[in-house]
Amino acid sequence: MSLDNILNNWSDYRKAAEDGGFYDSEGNHPYEHRWTMSINLDLCNGCNACSTACYAENNLAFVGKERFEKGHAMNWMRIERYWDDQEKDYPEKGASFLPMMCQQCGSATCEPVCPVAATYHTPDGLNAQVYNRCIGSRYCSNNCPYRVRYFNFYSYYDDAWPEPMQQQLNPDISVRDKGVMEKCTFCVQRIRSAKEKAKMEDRAVRDGEAMPACAQSCPTSAIVFGDTLDENSAISKLWKKHQVKRNVAHQDKENPEMRGYRIFEELNVDPSVMYLERVREDV
Amino acid sequence: MYGETTMMVNEKDINEQIAWAKINTDVLRSMENPRKSYWVAVAVCLAMVATAVLAEYIQYTVGMGVSNLNNPHMWDLYIATFVFWIGMSHSGTLLSAILHLLHADWRKPIYRFAEAMTTFSLLTAGLFPIIHLGRVWNMYWVLPYVSDRGIWPNFRSPLVWDAFAISTYLSASMLFLFIGMIPDLAICRDNTTGWRKKLYTALSLGWEGNDRQWRNFRKIYLLMACFLIPLAVSVHSIVSADFAMSIMPGWHITSFPPYFVAGALYSGCAAIITLFIMLRYFFRFEEYMTLPIMEKLAKLTFAIAMVWTYLNLIEFASVWYGHDMYNKELLIAKATGPYAWIFWSMLFFGSVVPFTLAFRKMRRHMPTMFVVSILLNIGMFFERWMIVAPTLSLSHEPWQWDVMWGSIIEWALVFGSFGWFGLLFLVFVKVFPCVSMYEVKEMVFHRSMSAGERDVLRMTDHAKPAKQTPGVEGA
Amino acid sequence: MSGKLNRRSFMKMMGWGGVGTALVGCDMPSTVTLEEGVEDVVSYLSPEEYVIPGVGVWYASTCTQCAAGCGIHGRVREGRVLKLEGNPESPVNKGKLCLMGQAGVQGHYNPDRITTPLLRSGGSLSPVSWEKAEQVLAEKLGGVKGDRFAWFTGSMSGHQLSLLSSHLDAMGSNKHFVHEVVNNTVAQSVYADMFGDATPRLRIDKAKMVLSFGADFMGASESPLLYSGDYARFRTGKTRGLLVQVEAKMSLTGGSADLWMPVKPGTEGVLALGVANLLLNKLKMSDAGIPSDVREMINTYDVTSVARITGVAGHRIQRVAALLQERSPSLVLAGATVEGHTHGYASTAAVMMLNHILGNVGKTIEPGAKLPFPQLAAKRGGTADLATFAEAAKGQQLDVVIFHGSNPVYTAPASLGLDDGLANIDFKVAIAQFPDETAMAADLVLPAASYLEDWGTQVPTFLGDSAAIQLQQPLMEKLYADTRGFGDIVLGLLKQLKAADFDKFEDYYGYLRNAFASLPASVKAGASSDDAFWNGALQAGVVMLPADLVTLKSTVIAFADPRGGDDAASGLTLIPSPRMGLWDGRHANLPWLQEAPDQISKVVWDSWAEIHPETAKENGISQGDLISVSSAHGEIRTRAVLLKSMHRDAVAVPLGQGHEAYGRYAKGIGINPLKIIDPAQDAKTGELAMYATRVSIKRVAGSEQFGLVKAGGSDTQAGRKLVVTVPAEQLQRTEGT
Repeated sequence: MSLDNILNNWSDYRKAAEDGGFYDSEGNHPYEHRWTMSINLDLCNGCNACSTACYAENNLAFVGKERFEKGHAMNWMRIERYWDDQEKDYPEKGASFLPMMCQQCGSATCEPVCPVAATYHTPDGLNAQVYNRCIGSRYCSNNCPYRVRYFNFYSYYDDAWPEPMQQQLNPDISVRDKGVMEKCTFCVQRIRSAKEKAKMEDRAVRDGEAMPACAQSCPTSAIVFGDTLDENSAISKLWKKHQVKRNVAHQDKENPEMRGYRIFEELNVDPSVMYLERVREDV
Repeated sequence: MYGETTMMVNEKDINEQIAWAKINTDVLRSMENPRKSYWVAVAVCLAMVATAVLAEYIQYTVGMGVSNLNNPHMWDLYIATFVFWIGMSHSGTLLSAILHLLHADWRKPIYRFAEAMTTFSLLTAGLFPIIHLGRVWNMYWVLPYVSDRGIWPNFRSPLVWDAFAISTYLSASMLFLFIGMIPDLAICRDNTTGWRKKLYTALSLGWEGNDRQWRNFRKIYLLMACFLIPLAVSVHSIVSADFAMSIMPGWHITSFPPYFVAGALYSGCAAIITLFIMLRYFFRFEEYMTLPIMEKLAKLTFAIAMVWTYLNLIEFASVWYGHDMYNKELLIAKATGPYAWIFWSMLFFGSVVPFTLAFRKMRRHMPTMFVVSILLNIGMFFERWMIVAPTLSLSHEPWQWDVMWGSIIEWALVFGSFGWFGLLFLVFVKVFPCVSMYEVKEMVFHRSMSAGERDVLRMTDHAKPAKQTPGVEGA
Repeated sequence: MSGKLNRRSFMKMMGWGGVGTALVGCDMPSTVTLEEGVEDVVSYLSPEEYVIPGVGVWYASTCTQCAAGCGIHGRVREGRVLKLEGNPESPVNKGKLCLMGQAGVQGHYNPDRITTPLLRSGGSLSPVSWEKAEQVLAEKLGGVKGDRFAWFTGSMSGHQLSLLSSHLDAMGSNKHFVHEVVNNTVAQSVYADMFGDATPRLRIDKAKMVLSFGADFMGASESPLLYSGDYARFRTGKTRGLLVQVEAKMSLTGGSADLWMPVKPGTEGVLALGVANLLLNKLKMSDAGIPSDVREMINTYDVTSVARITGVAGHRIQRVAALLQERSPSLVLAGATVEGHTHGYASTAAVMMLNHILGNVGKTIEPGAKLPFPQLAAKRGGTADLATFAEAAKGQQLDVVIFHGSNPVYTAPASLGLDDGLANIDFKVAIAQFPDETAMAADLVLPAASYLEDWGTQVPTFLGDSAAIQLQQPLMEKLYADTRGFGDIVLGLLKQLKAADFDKFEDYYGYLRNAFASLPASVKAGASSDDAFWNGALQAGVVMLPADLVTLKSTVIAFADPRGGDDAASGLTLIPSPRMGLWDGRHANLPWLQEAPDQISKVVWDSWAEIHPETAKENGISQGDLISVSSAHGEIRTRAVLLKSMHRDAVAVPLGQGHEAYGRYAKGIGINPLKIIDPAQDAKTGELAMYATRVSIKRVAGSEQFGLVKAGGSDTQAGRKLVVTVPAEQLQRTEGT
C-alpha cells in the first residue's frame, strides 16, 4: 500500500463520481453493448418455462413451502397473473400474464442507494450485482419499484442442493450465501462467454449469440433479447418499430398505437425491457 | 423541613436559599449505595440484553430469515427502532445546547441526564443498522477506510451519510457530555476515595476551578453547543434521507427532514419527562427536578407536539392534493388497511394525548405525566413503524403486496435495545452525577440576585460571584 | 482460432470466462468425476480426451418428461450435465423447452433415486444384488405362462417399445397395458373414425380461428411445445388468429383466450350441436355427409335449449357460429374435459363434426406423419387399460406384471379396487427410478437409469410433413453404478428367452446401433457409412424420415346424443385438472416444479380446490378455508381457492399431489383427486370418465399448520399500467398487413 496508489485510487474515484453517468452533454455514451429485452404479452401464456429455466441456469434455490409463504422465494423471473377488475362473473378475456424480472434500468434506483456500491452499471448497460461486495443492507430492494431483487435470507446450499443435486449447479456462476442480494442478470455469464468467443474470433458479437435462459426456452418465443447498439439486431428493429425510446420518462410516439411500452417508465428509471401490449379481440 | 421545601419548589424553579453544600451532598448521595431496587433493575436490563444477544446469535448463524423480513419488506422493525432511538437522542441536545444558547436556565438541573440519554440512545440506535445487515461481519465496508484496492463506499448512498452523521453526532455529544461534567467530576474527585477517586481524578483533567479554567471551559462549552445544534438537526435529516431519497411512495416526501426532526424532539422530550419523574422519585430530587421545571418541559413538549401534528397534516394534505396515485393509495391504505389501528393510535397518542399537557393540573400531577410521556413515546414508536412498513407493504408493484409483523426474534432485539439503554443509564447514574451540581449552583446564584445585579452580571459577562464560587470548595 | 490462441491468452480467457462472473466463493469441487459411481478427485492435468475443463459441450438427446418426445440439448461440463435446452433441429419443439423439460436435471440428480435392486422379503423391500434380482426374476418369469404375464407401462415408442413387444412375444403374452392419465385417446378414436387418421396434424398455425372445447393444447396436451409454436404463429400471422375457449375450468390455454366461455361441465357436445344447428340452419352451410339421424339430433338443439342446457348465453353461441363461418379456415378442438364423460365419445364426435361442416379437414387438419416402421410408432395410453388391468388383476388373471413408466397405484381411482387386484398378482416387478407408490407395492424393484444416462429412441406423434425418430443418448456417466437402462434390462430378459436372436447384442446400445444400421438406404442418404450416419444422428439428436401420409377423409359418423344422462345428477362436477408442471403427479418430486406457481391459481407446494366465488358463498366457504370434497367413492380435504375462472357447477382439484411415497419432495403434500373418481367409463371407448364425478363440498375445521401458500399479493393491477390490453383492430392497423 503506497500513498501514491491511494491518492490515485481516490482521484480515479472522484473522476468516476463526477462523470455524471453514462451520457455526456451531447447524449453520447460509452456503452459497449446495450442488452435489452422485449416481451410480447400477447404471446405469453404464463406457462412458467422461463422461470424454471432461470432456476436451472442461475443456481436459484427453491425455498420450500414454509419459506415461500414468508415471502422468501428466489424466483428471479416470476410470472404475475392478473385478473381484469372490470370482470363481473367470469374472466371472459382470460388472464393477464406478466413475466417480471430485473428491468436492468438505465438510471436504476437501486444503484445510488447501495452503501458499498455492490450494485453498479456496467458498460453493457446491465445492473451488475457484486455478491462479494454486498453487505446485505437491502436498501436496493426497498428502492426497486419492480420488487425484483431477492435476498438470501438463509444459506440455501444444503436445503436446495442435497447430494447429489449440487452436481447440477452451474459452475459459471456462484451459489450465493446468506446475507447477499441477488437478481436477474440477463444471464451475464452467457453474455460474457459470447463476448469472449467473439473476441477470440476477432469479430463482433452476432445477434442471437448471447441468449438468456428465459428467452431460449420460451415456448411461444415471446421473449426477444439482443443488443440495441447493433442496428441490425432483431431487438433494435423491435424497439424502432414500436417507437420506444430510451432515457425518457414519457414516450412521445409518432404512432401512439404501436404496442411497445415500458413499465413504470414514468418514474424515470429507464427500464431496458420493453413489453408489447396484450391483444384481445372483442367478440 | 421537607414539606416546606417541597412547597417552595412547587412555586419556583428552584429554591434560591438552598445551600451549595446541600446540592453537593444530595447529588453525591444519589451516586452511592445502590438500593435493592437498583440491582433488580440492572438484572432486568441484563436479562433483556441477554435475550437480545441470543436472538442476534440465532439471526447471525441462521440468517436474516428468522426475522419476518421478506420481499418486499426488506426493512421493518429494526429500522423503525433505529429511527426511534435516533429520535430519542435529540432530547439532550435540545436541552443542553439549544436551551443553553437561549439562556433558558431552568434546563440546568435536568440537562445532564438528558445529555446522557442522547449518548446512550445513539449507542443503541447505532446497533440497529448493524443488526439488520445481512452480512454483519462486513459492516465496516460502509466506512471509507484506506484500501490499497481502491474500493470506496458509495458516497451517494444515504446509508453512508448515516454512518458519518451518526458517528459524528455520537462523538460530539459524548464530548459535550464529558466537557460539561468536568467541574462536577472535580467535586466528585474531592469527595470520594478508592477507585472512584482514581477515575474522577483522571476524568476531571486537573480541574481546580481557577479563573483561566472557567474561561476556557465556558468558551469550549459554548462552541460545542453551537457545533452540536446543526449536527442534531442534520443527523435526523440524514436519517430521513434514507427514506426521502428513495422513489417509494410514502417515503419520497419533501417534508421528511423537518418531520423527522420534530418527531425526534418530540419523542426526546417525552422521554425526558419519563426519566425526570423516575429520577425525581427514586433519587428524591424534588428540590432540583421541580414542578415548575416539569411545567416548562411539558409546555415545550406540547409546542413540539403541535409542530409535529402540523407537519403530519401538511403531509396528508399534500398527498391528498398531489394526485400521485401511489401516494394517495398508500395514505388511504394506512388509514384503512391492516395497519390502520397503528395509524390511528399514532395520531391519537401523538396529537390528542398531548392536549393533557395544556392543563396546569395535569402538568403538575406526576403519575399523569408519567403515563402521558409513555403514551407519547408509544405513539412515536408507532409513527416510526408507519413510516417504514406500509410503504414496503404497498409499493408500485401490486404482485408483491404483503403485510408484515415482526417476528419473535425481532421483538427480542427491540426489547433488548431498551434493556441495553437502561443498563447504560443505570450505570451512568451511579458513576456520574446525573444533576449538574455546578450549574444548579449557578442557577441558584443567578436567581438569588436581584434583577439589577443580574443585569450587571450580564454586562460584565464573566463577573465572579464574591461569596461562593461554584465548584471545588463545596462540601 | 488456431494461431491466435496461445497459452497465455487461453489462460486469460479461462480466467475471465470462468472466474470473472463467479462473484461469491463457490465451494463446489469442480474436478470431481464420477467413475463407477465413486467420486474421485482427478487432476485435470490429465483430463479425458473429450473433456475440456471449464468448457461446456452440448449433446443432443430426447426429453421423456412427457410423451411428446421433444429434442433436447444437454450442456455437459466436467462430466456432469448441467442444463437442458430445446434442440432447434427437433421438429417437435424447435429449440424450445417447457418447465418440465427444464426440470429434467432435477429428476436425474434427485436425492431420492433408487440405487440398487430391492426385493421384498418379510414384508419390506430390502437391497439385493443384481445377480440375486435377476435370478429371482428369471425364476418367476420361468414359471409364468402366456397371458398370465403382462407389461404395464406409460406411453412408449421407439426401440424400447419394439424390444418390449419382442419380449411379450417371447413370453407368449399379448398383454401390454398402456396407461396415461393425460391423454387424448377418445379424440384419437374420433379422429380415426371421422378423418381416417388417429393422429392428424392439427395446424393451429394455419387456422384463422380456433374454437377449443377444453383443449389445453399449450398445457396438459399430447404435445404442448409443438402446439405452443403453432400458437405463436397463429397469433402473429397476417391476421391475428382468434382463440375461443369453452371449458368449465380455465386451463393454461384458456388464460390466453380472446373469449373464454364457462360451460356447464359435460355439456360441451350439446354446445357443439347448437353451433352446428346455427351453422346449418341459420347460416346455411352444407350438411353434406352428415348422417340423417345426426342431422335430426342437430335440429333438436336450437339456440334457446342449448343456452339453457349449457349455461352459455344464446347471443354468444350465435356470435361464435357466425365467426366460425367468417374466419375460414378455422379449427375446432376437443380436450380432455370433453372426452372424460360417459358420453365422451359422442361429445367429442359432436365437436369434431364442426370441423367437417366448416370444411377444415385438409386445411387445418392435415394427415399426421406416420413412421414407415409401425413397430416403433408410439403407443399412447389412456385410462381404459387401467380399468381393464384392474379387472384382470381382480379376476386373478395375472401372475407376473412388470411396471415401468407409470404409477397406477397412485393414479388409479380407489373405486377400481386396484389395491385388491395387486394383492392377487403373484409377483410384481417395477423398473423404477424413484420409490413411487407402485414401486413400493412391488415385490422386486429394478433401479432404472435416468433418461439422461440411458440410450433410447422416441417417436413423436402428431407431426406433419415428415416423421422423425428422436434419439436419446446418455449425457453423462451413470450417477449410480447399479442402475440400468430400461433397454438393457429388457434386452437382458430377452437374452434368457431368445438367446439366438439377442445374444449378438452386447447391450442396448449395440441393439440400437444395429437397428440404425438396418434402416433403409434412403434414410441414410448423404452419410458415407453406417458409422457416419450414426454419428450424424447422435449429433443432430433426430433422424427425419419420409412420412407415410394417409389421405384424410371428412365424414361424420353416427354418434349418440352427447347430452348424456348425467346432467340430471346433483352436485358439483369434479375436475381433476392436470397441471403443466406436476402433470399427472409424476413430477411431484421435482422441487422446481413444486415451487413453480400454478399458472392460474398461483398456488405452490400444495393441493387446492378451485371454486367460483358464488359457489363458495352458497356453501359458506371463503378463500383459504379447509374444505371437504366428497364423492360416492371417498372424500378429500384441501384448501379452497376462489377464482372466477371456474364454472359455478364445477370444482377443480389439480392433479399431482397427494403422494404417499415418491421421495422427500412429493410425499405427504396435498391430496390426490383421482382417488375419489367414480369408475364410470365412456360407452364407446371404455376410457374412464375422469371428468364426470359429482361431488359435494363443505367447509371443515382445519388444523394444518399452513394455510394456502400462494404467490401474488394483488390479483388485479390496482390501476397500474402493467399489462395493457389493446383491441385486435389496433394490432391490425399497426402490425397487420
